[in-house]
Amino acid sequence: MASLPKRIIKETERLVSDPVPGITAEPHDDNLRYFEVTIEGPAGSPYENGIFQLELYLPDDYPMEAPKVRFLTKIYHPNIDRLGRICLDVLKTNWSPALQIRTVLLSIQALLASPNPNDPLANDVAEDWIKNEEGAKNKAREWTQLYATKK
Amino acid sequence: MTEKKRFFKDELESSIETTKSFNTSFENSKSFLFNPTQDNIDIADPNDNNDDDGDVGNDINNPEASINIESESDDDIEIIEESQISPKGTFTNGIIDVVPDIDDKMISQLYNKYKDTQDPLSSALSYYFENCQSTDGNSQKITYIPSSPIKISPLKRKHTTIASFISEPHHTTPTIPSQKKVKKSIMWERFIGALQVTAMATRPAMKPLKYGSKFKLVKQQSDIPTSKLYDTKGRQKKMMSSYVKIFDIQLNREIGKVPEDIARIIYPLLDTDEVIFDATLVFCDDRRLSIGDSFILELDCYLTSILFQDEIELLSSQSSQNLNNYNNNKPLHQSFKSNTPDKVEDMESKSRRVALITLFKKLRVRPLQKHEEELIKTQQSENVVQEEEDVIDVDDDEGFGEIMSETYENPEIDSPKYDTEESMNLNQLQTFYNSAQSYETLKNLPETNPPSELVKMTLRPYQKQGLTWMLRREHEYDKAAQCEDFEVDGDMMNPLWNQFKWPKNRSWNVNKLKEKSIDTSINNELFFYANLHTGDFSIEKPILKTMIKGGILSDEMGLGKTISALSLVLMAPSDSSQAEKKLFKTDTEDEINTESPNLTSRKPYASKTTLIIVPMSLLNQWNSEFNAINNCSKYKSEIYYGGNVSSLKTLLTKTKKPPTVILTTYGIVQNEWSKLFREGGNSNEAVMSSSGLFSLEFYRIIIDEGHTIRNRSTITSKSVMDLSSKCKWILTGTPIINRLDDLFSMVKFLKLEPWCNVSYWKTFVSNPFENKEFKQAFDVVNSIMRPVLLRRTKQMKNADGEPLVELPPKEVVIKKLKLNKTQEAIYKYFLDIAENSVRTGLARGDLLKKYSTILVHILRLRQICCDVELLGTLDDNDEDISRNSQVFASNSEIKRLIDNGRNASDEELNDTEKESIISILQEKYPTIDSLKKQECSICTTEDIEVDKMLLPVCGHTFCESCLTEYIDYQKDKDKDAEIKCPLCRSTIARNKLFTPLYDKTNDTLSIVHYKDVVKPAKLAALVDNLQQLEDSSSGEQVIVFSQFSSYLDILEKGLREAFPSDKAKIYKFDGRLSLKERSTVLKEFQEKDLSKQKILLLSLKAGGVGLNLTCASYAYMMDPWWSPSMEDQAIDRIHRIGQTNNVKVLRFIIEGSIEEKMLRIQERKRTIGEAMEADQEERRKRRIEEIKTLFE
Repeated sequence: MASLPKRIIKETERLVSDPVPGITAEPHDDNLRYFEVTIEGPAGSPYENGIFQLELYLPDDYPMEAPKVRFLTKIYHPNIDRLGRICLDVLKTNWSPALQIRTVLLSIQALLASPNPNDPLANDVAEDWIKNEEGAKNKAREWTQLYATKK
Repeated sequence: MTEKKRFFKDELESSIETTKSFNTSFENSKSFLFNPTQDNIDIADPNDNNDDDGDVGNDINNPEASINIESESDDDIEIIEESQISPKGTFTNGIIDVVPDIDDKMISQLYNKYKDTQDPLSSALSYYFENCQSTDGNSQKITYIPSSPIKISPLKRKHTTIASFISEPHHTTPTIPSQKKVKKSIMWERFIGALQVTAMATRPAMKPLKYGSKFKLVKQQSDIPTSKLYDTKGRQKKMMSSYVKIFDIQLNREIGKVPEDIARIIYPLLDTDEVIFDATLVFCDDRRLSIGDSFILELDCYLTSILFQDEIELLSSQSSQNLNNYNNNKPLHQSFKSNTPDKVEDMESKSRRVALITLFKKLRVRPLQKHEEELIKTQQSENVVQEEEDVIDVDDDEGFGEIMSETYENPEIDSPKYDTEESMNLNQLQTFYNSAQSYETLKNLPETNPPSELVKMTLRPYQKQGLTWMLRREHEYDKAAQCEDFEVDGDMMNPLWNQFKWPKNRSWNVNKLKEKSIDTSINNELFFYANLHTGDFSIEKPILKTMIKGGILSDEMGLGKTISALSLVLMAPSDSSQAEKKLFKTDTEDEINTESPNLTSRKPYASKTTLIIVPMSLLNQWNSEFNAINNCSKYKSEIYYGGNVSSLKTLLTKTKKPPTVILTTYGIVQNEWSKLFREGGNSNEAVMSSSGLFSLEFYRIIIDEGHTIRNRSTITSKSVMDLSSKCKWILTGTPIINRLDDLFSMVKFLKLEPWCNVSYWKTFVSNPFENKEFKQAFDVVNSIMRPVLLRRTKQMKNADGEPLVELPPKEVVIKKLKLNKTQEAIYKYFLDIAENSVRTGLARGDLLKKYSTILVHILRLRQICCDVELLGTLDDNDEDISRNSQVFASNSEIKRLIDNGRNASDEELNDTEKESIISILQEKYPTIDSLKKQECSICTTEDIEVDKMLLPVCGHTFCESCLTEYIDYQKDKDKDAEIKCPLCRSTIARNKLFTPLYDKTNDTLSIVHYKDVVKPAKLAALVDNLQQLEDSSSGEQVIVFSQFSSYLDILEKGLREAFPSDKAKIYKFDGRLSLKERSTVLKEFQEKDLSKQKILLLSLKAGGVGLNLTCASYAYMMDPWWSPSMEDQAIDRIHRIGQTNNVKVLRFIIEGSIEEKMLRIQERKRTIGEAMEADQEERRKRRIEEIKTLFE
């Protein structure tokens, strides 16, 4: 395995020793650049009580390149498509090497709290959201209940 | 013939004196023969002249005599010699005047008989005419054993001649088998095969020939001089068939002649009695024969004892030390010196040899393969009655093909030409001799476990096997591990010989004469042996005597040759035979002596000391390995270097406990040798009075990296050859570097008879190789090397099918880099110059004349790839190229380019802008404390070092490397993208970077503009890689290779700037270090320190071989080398036994530069192998090709 930059090790250590509330991130045993992530749905949002699984991968050029993050759990959200891909500026153009795994995951949590249907990735969801926000939120709650709660 | 017979009888009975005088002459000849070489040459030369005279002049005008004289060699040389000066000469001339066709043997006899009488000449003549005048030229024939120039001892020949002289012929023709007691000298004969011959009648027969009637074969004119039969090139001029006639025994008249191909065989052999031909009529259609009719004969062939006699003598004499004298006196390999058989003697022996080979071929007598021998032996022991298969596969001539192709060009016969495999290269050779021998050897060798009280460490199984082999080679059988099927070393058959099985007697006579064998003992022998190269035969197995104890341990790099050799030294530290003789000490002469016995015999014998010669860089390593492995306080080692021992002679022979091992370098050996042999005229005296290496005979010499002596014309090689010892060992991982001839030097060092004679080697190895007869050359090389060379490779498997050594995997990655802008501009500039030069060179066709200039061009380009600064340096260690200064641009031109390159990237920041930014930043960071505990947000390093800190306009802090990497990365992704500060996203720019400058003494901090000095591509890449490595695993030891030692200096400086001294320790090892410094550097480097990265800058030339640096598992090759094996060697410094980690090698190559092309040439070298470059023209072409490749 290619050698791991010091920064990644440092970040991983900090994620474990000083975790962000509502977020867990654990590196995979076989590949320390691959993280298994869970994010709790923020209180007050339609995703409350849900626990969402994500995967995060640090590319070779990290931290020059942004990490790649994807939802594994199905979620009804205008900025997250059916494949779990996330539309978030810091993951794309606004990435800066000063950002870290921690900050990226916090941004995603914030995105759950405040969906942005005006910059959609899942167009049908966004449309739904604009037309009938309550109905959309109900559906999101439903999905959360259905897919993101532990049974 | 009857008269002749009587003559012999009379001679025998009447004159005991004759025999006596013969004995005297025999004594004389003996003493003559054992005179020093020089005398012999003096005599031989007039003899040669005499041969020429013989043909034209009148002093020997009898052709037959001339044949005899030439073929009889030494003892006759004496006679000829005398014929010109002595009374005997007058006598001889006198006789020849009267009886022109008298045999000179007879002259000798007559002379001896009558020399004491008053008038010897007339007495002799009257005796001659009374008693022995004969009309039949054939009957005068005297047993003549054709000389085989190499082997037959003249001593023996004389014996045989006498024997045949005094023997009593009972029958008229010696060639009739039923009368084989003709001469006592034929002790026995044995059936070798039968031929069916269709003969042609040359005389009409009165009545039909009877089935089964006996014929004899007779030379029509036995007195034809060889010069008439063969032209000067050894080609046949005349049809042999006209000279070999078939005679009817009963009628004693000519019947017919044999076909040409048979005649060619028979003619040279007919007179010799070595082979007897026995012709029987099997078919003549039962009618009268007219001229031209054909009839069929069965020709039974027998080999006689004469053929074997000389060989038996030879074998026994070879083992004695006489051989040396014998060698010295007789130009032993005379016939090999020239390939043009201009001497009649050569021609005769050659025609005989060819005849024998052809005969064997016709008879389908094939040399036995090894397994066949076993098979036959078992069958024999089990008393299995084996039926010979009567049907012989006609096409199965393969075995003979080999032999045939091994003889010299034989125009007389259509030898099956080998389809020369066009591209036998070195790699193939390597596999060739690997597979041929070592594999089997390896599996069957028992393991010798050195006692722990001697050797501290445990050897690996294959090393133990190697030790067994080495001990055996030194004849220390009791110390080596035993195994059941071990045959004592000597059992090796001489490679030039072939083993043959006696065929079942299927001759015509076998049914009729049941008990025809005279000497039954011979019939019990299963095999006989023949050297078809020389035409020598033997009943006994021609055991290959390797004169010297020792050999070549050629295990692949990293298999622990050093350990094996040292174990051997400890197991057998001193000459055991010498221990008993100890009381008489010093001047005892050796049984096995080296080539100059009178010189070495007087040298004191350091019987307890092994001399080990190693390259300078390995001196300490050997010493420490010896101390590491040695577990016996009795034994110690001593370094002989730099004049630390005043008198080696005293130390080794006069002290009570001489050191077991003397370590020295090639340089020292060469130095002492030059002093002794170059300056003083009388080298012998100088040697005696000296007290250094050459004043002694060592018990054992081991040369490490033995390929150092591969070029035998170098002083190093010559000097090493002149050292004397009883045992000699060569350690080398690469026995062949460039040419097959590299092996010769080793053979010569080992004094491996007979190959150490250069003419021998040339004849059997070099010449065939140059003539593209690779198979033959390799066959011979293989058989030379088999007994003395042990080679194991890392890939080899032991008996259980496991690899010998399991080394951790090695990964070699080529990292392609781009030149920075400065480098690129300069590279382009020099490339233009170089291309121009090559182009004009090619156009004018004198490219190679300018070769050295072009090499300089190439060197410049390679240097630019490393670092522009190298251009200015002058470093003798780099390469031996005369520096023609006019080739380069003047220094100012380079400077201009460097400056240009620097500024090309960004427009200069104007000063006012600069000032204003600086003042803002200074406000932000007024003191050094304000810069403490700053974190780089890119690498998350806290507390960036101040001198490595970079500040963009916004004032955020970053590491120098992180920020520049970030900027470059963004630029790479999108050229026009606006680069933003990673933290505040304000725009930053490459030319607007600033760095703090802290002055410790005054405790003042200033902010200065960050000068955008782009590091050279390779240095930057190296620093990056080392940084990454340090980040991922700290405390690694890494090695950085370069061939330019001045580049190592630059790297050292660059690395010191990049890494603070508490983080990384940098060592440099190159040719400029003294011995002591070398060992300190290596010792310090090898100590593991987890807190610091240790970087060893290693010069490829000084440290490329031998060093053991397994503590490191990372290596960086900064620049490519022409020969890939050099780089492999370097990598093997870390990838060898003892390495526990995966080995990673990174090779930095500049993309699209000359370095990439060098890689291509390397690749080709790997596949083609330098061996193919044997001839000059070819090499020239290749050089031009290479240059073209570089500049295409």
